[in-house]
Amino acid sequence: MSTDALLHSPLHDRHTALGAKMADFGGWLMPIEYPGGGVVAEHTAVREKVGIFDVSHLGKARVSGPGAAAYVNACLTNDLERIHIGKAQYTLCCNESGGVVDDLIAYLRSDEDVFLIPNAANTATVVEMLQAEAPTGITVENLHDQYGVIAVQGTLSDEVLESLGLPTGHDYMSFVETDWEGLPVIVCRTGYTGERGYELVPMWDNAGPLWDTLAVAVAERGGLVCGLGARDTLRTEMGYPLHGNDLSPDITPVMAGSAWAVGWDKPAFWGKAALTEQRAAKTSRLSRGLLVTGRGIPRSHCAVIDSEGASVGEVTSGTFSPTRKQGIALALLDRSVALGDSVSIDVRGRVVEAEVVKPPFVEVQVRES
Amino acid sequence: MSDFDYPDNLRYTAEHEWVRPGDGEIVRVGITAYAQDALGDVVYVSAPSVGAAVTAGESCGEVESTKSVSDLYSPLTGTITAVNEALDAAPELINTDPYGEGWIFEMSLADASAVEALMDASAYRENLA
Repeated sequence: MSTDALLHSPLHDRHTALGAKMADFGGWLMPIEYPGGGVVAEHTAVREKVGIFDVSHLGKARVSGPGAAAYVNACLTNDLERIHIGKAQYTLCCNESGGVVDDLIAYLRSDEDVFLIPNAANTATVVEMLQAEAPTGITVENLHDQYGVIAVQGTLSDEVLESLGLPTGHDYMSFVETDWEGLPVIVCRTGYTGERGYELVPMWDNAGPLWDTLAVAVAERGGLVCGLGARDTLRTEMGYPLHGNDLSPDITPVMAGSAWAVGWDKPAFWGKAALTEQRAAKTSRLSRGLLVTGRGIPRSHCAVIDSEGASVGEVTSGTFSPTRKQGIALALLDRSVALGDSVSIDVRGRVVEAEVVKPPFVEVQVRES
Repeated sequence: MSDFDYPDNLRYTAEHEWVRPGDGEIVRVGITAYAQDALGDVVYVSAPSVGAAVTAGESCGEVESTKSVSDLYSPLTGTITAVNEALDAAPELINTDPYGEGWIFEMSLADASAVEALMDASAYRENLA
């Protein structure tokens, strides 16, 4: 795809002015890394201090009208009755065979108003699926270009937000609707890095000034502006799945280790019959972590081989862990493979040894109060 | 890309390797400032083994960054005589000092005059433009 066809974030001109390396993320031209940073430095800034990311390519959608929350609950996998108003929930949109069309965050604003953040490339599909079955009176809107999204992640993120007068310290996965300089912004205690942090959702046209102010506050604290390259190494260290790699229409939540985000006791959700059957059968491959013990970096689609030489699975995400200074991967493995087993990964013809582990690969800071 | 340095005493390939002519038929090889910037943070280098026979233009190893992997091509034909073992512990030397501490291997050329056929710095700059 030519980069001309790609969509631009409201912060696009700021990224190009900084000289960021840009690439296609789900149809959007987004920064991978910035000069003076680079993936490892940006990653380390988030693990040790603070970083900000433009994630405005993420989708935004709204389901509203009488019974909107109940309708969403009858479609997406997780159980919205587990949370109360003002909280967000990680959930999945499955097809009838249980494959994952998208993973997303649902923000419960009221029983009649649910705000959704799907992945960039899947937003239109999720919105169409929800529109197709919406009862009379329920509206499903694609608001992709109505809002920007800025993630502030790292142990100093509270300080950064406080310096702007924004609320902090609310519970993990909860959100506050407030304003900054008179402009509305949603402050969510969410993220994709494993660090304490927030995701801010300003209106599209207000994202620029908010970003500029955050960038100054972050720089004053030794933090960095971060690209999506670091976001990927950070999420892989946590074992968070990425749609298109670790989740897909062919990879179910049962396989991906995302069954915790399924409300199994709900009367209905898309894919329930197929998923219930697969969960009971206990025969599907399962997602595991691979910690490389030798030298080398596994990548998606590398074959995983057991000590007998049999192929037992495939890498779905692999990278270099800047924190562990080792190759790490998520892989779908046969159930014959147990945690603690040694396996080999075929990295372009070279054998790389690894241990089967349970992610995360680093300590989790995300829920600390 | 004009802000990168391409020393005049080196020779260059279209695959963004540099070659430092030395005494006789031994030359030192690395990747250019342009190549390391395009790769991003280098985190792993798979160099050929000492004694390996390599052929000009053929893949002889890999350079991996956090984001991607690139083949390392032998700029010339000959035999590997040394590899930079410092890169095992500090592959980032390729980013910080691509023409110095970040060298990748040394080789003995089958034909010492072949190095003359590679691009000089100005031709390499034009090739990048």
